[in-house]
Amino acid sequence: MTLVFKNLRKQYGANVAINDVSTDFAPGLIYGVIGPNGAGKSTLINMTAGSYTVSDGSISLDGHRLDGMKKHQIANSGIARTYQNIRLFDQMTVLENLEVCAYPAEVYNTWREVLWPPYGRERAAARRESAMEILRFFGLEGYGDAEAGSLPYGRQRMLEIARALAMKPRVLLLDEPAAGLNHHETAELTAKLAELRSPERIMLVVEHDMDLVMTLCDRIVVMHHGKLLFQGTPAEVQASSDVQLAYLGTDNDIDDIRAAAQDRRAQLGIRARRRS
Amino acid sequence: MSVAGISSSAKPQASRLVAILVLAAIVALVAATPFLPNYHIRVVNSLLIYILLGIGLNIVIGYTGLLDLGFVAFYAVGAYTYALLASPQLDLHLPFLLIVGIAAVLGMITGILLGIPVLKLRGDYLAIVTLGFGEIIRIVINNVDWLTGGPKGIARLDKASILGVEIARPVEIYWLLLVTVFLVGLFVWRLERSILGKAWAAIREDQDAARGIGINTTNAKLAAFATSATIGAIAGTIFAASQRFVSPESFTLQESVLIVLMIVIGGIGNILGIVAGAAILILLPELLREFAEWRILFLGILMVVLIIVRPAGIVPRTFGPEKLIRGLFGK
Repeated sequence: MTLVFKNLRKQYGANVAINDVSTDFAPGLIYGVIGPNGAGKSTLINMTAGSYTVSDGSISLDGHRLDGMKKHQIANSGIARTYQNIRLFDQMTVLENLEVCAYPAEVYNTWREVLWPPYGRERAAARRESAMEILRFFGLEGYGDAEAGSLPYGRQRMLEIARALAMKPRVLLLDEPAAGLNHHETAELTAKLAELRSPERIMLVVEHDMDLVMTLCDRIVVMHHGKLLFQGTPAEVQASSDVQLAYLGTDNDIDDIRAAAQDRRAQLGIRARRRS
Repeated sequence: MSVAGISSSAKPQASRLVAILVLAAIVALVAATPFLPNYHIRVVNSLLIYILLGIGLNIVIGYTGLLDLGFVAFYAVGAYTYALLASPQLDLHLPFLLIVGIAAVLGMITGILLGIPVLKLRGDYLAIVTLGFGEIIRIVINNVDWLTGGPKGIARLDKASILGVEIARPVEIYWLLLVTVFLVGLFVWRLERSILGKAWAAIREDQDAARGIGINTTNAKLAAFATSATIGAIAGTIFAASQRFVSPESFTLQESVLIVLMIVIGGIGNILGIVAGAAILILLPELLREFAEWRILFLGILMVVLIIVRPAGIVPRTFGPEKLIRGLFGK
């Protein structure tokens, strides 16, 4: 199972946001997408999730074309995302934010749910339980009945990832999950994301926090001016002079980042994956 | 929000007391109404019809977050269905329950027909198009004289009867309405708590994110429009059967606005709120009848005050029927 971009292009008038990007993503790995502002990182996520249309080329999952599908169909093909600016269902409770993800699977039993109370209770309890399970994983179980919009910012970030996870996705797209988080919260997030690595799941993380990317990701995709500049393991990316020039800055910075990443790995006990 | 006053979960005793008082008041009113003079029963009947309309419209406005200003069109569809199928107009005299069924289906179809073109619209634009739709239906009824009798309307409608029991006197209509309001209210309340209801809420909160978690917003919205319109049409049939006369006068834009106001003032997205809103907007003008024109001024001031003091409505979304039930029976 793979997610494949083929000659992908996104154009706004004369402005080319994504230019001929071809690559593929394998399950079981966490991919980091990095690059300067305006490099097209978020555009990639938005096109994959169907928020933006594809100008040219194709996106496919397991050989099924995703581009051209409606957004909800893409979601139902197993693609879940979070947003750069948190987009929760603010006035719904934390539990409801997760429970509603059962909609595609259960909506056709709405009549039964409404007219036959025992069935309704059974479904409600089942939805609640599976939502609670995810909340417990993210340490949000104490917030179950709170309004999502009332949560502290860091918890809202976690909840958004929890909601994406409630869709039981095969592809998880995270758009700057650490934006606005403090050091402590970022570390917690990194550890949780590392636990989400699963043999059936492709994870794509767009992120500016190099610590997080270098610590967490197995592969890194470097974008620059809408093009795919480089792709490789964190070590390869750090060693590439192209990437340094385009994005990471001077040699000194690289050493700092590498050292910090190693520290973090040691702290969290995350094993760095080498290319097999 | 200033919900704490009535629904503080820290004080279960207080909320139980509130719940018991509310329930006792409702039971007392329900039981006392049949003994009132006919005129008063008619007022209560009109209150119940508005509650029914409010419950229907609230699905679209309160649950799904779509401002629909043309709801009265579905009410008209229901009323004219009864008027045409149970009167000398076309010399048809079908049984009441059959007409309710036909009206419900017609309501659902018109609801979907209105829903399809406005799917992509939100907010002000949606409000304007639905408003236009409501007016179109009224104007069509006003002009298709050969069928609807035009501005004169249709008179001498049949008395309704269910299984041979005649339902024509105000008190009989009252029982019919009471049962209908209860059943429809229960149905809609359960619908709101179902997975479809949660999807409506998600669409209300963030339509795009709702699509992102796999909700087919087209279908979910059409379901909301259809359910709401069906309830509006059912209310229309009972209205026609109780008045035994229909004319376009009863289906003006003002009616739509009144129902929206009921919802907003009572508590958007909450069935209990609709009851409260209807009570204020329907009963108060009746009670203040002796003050003639002044009552409109009074009502206006009251509305402004309510909007300022309780922006979430008299009974906010958070104090739904489940709170009332929990208050009564403990946890």
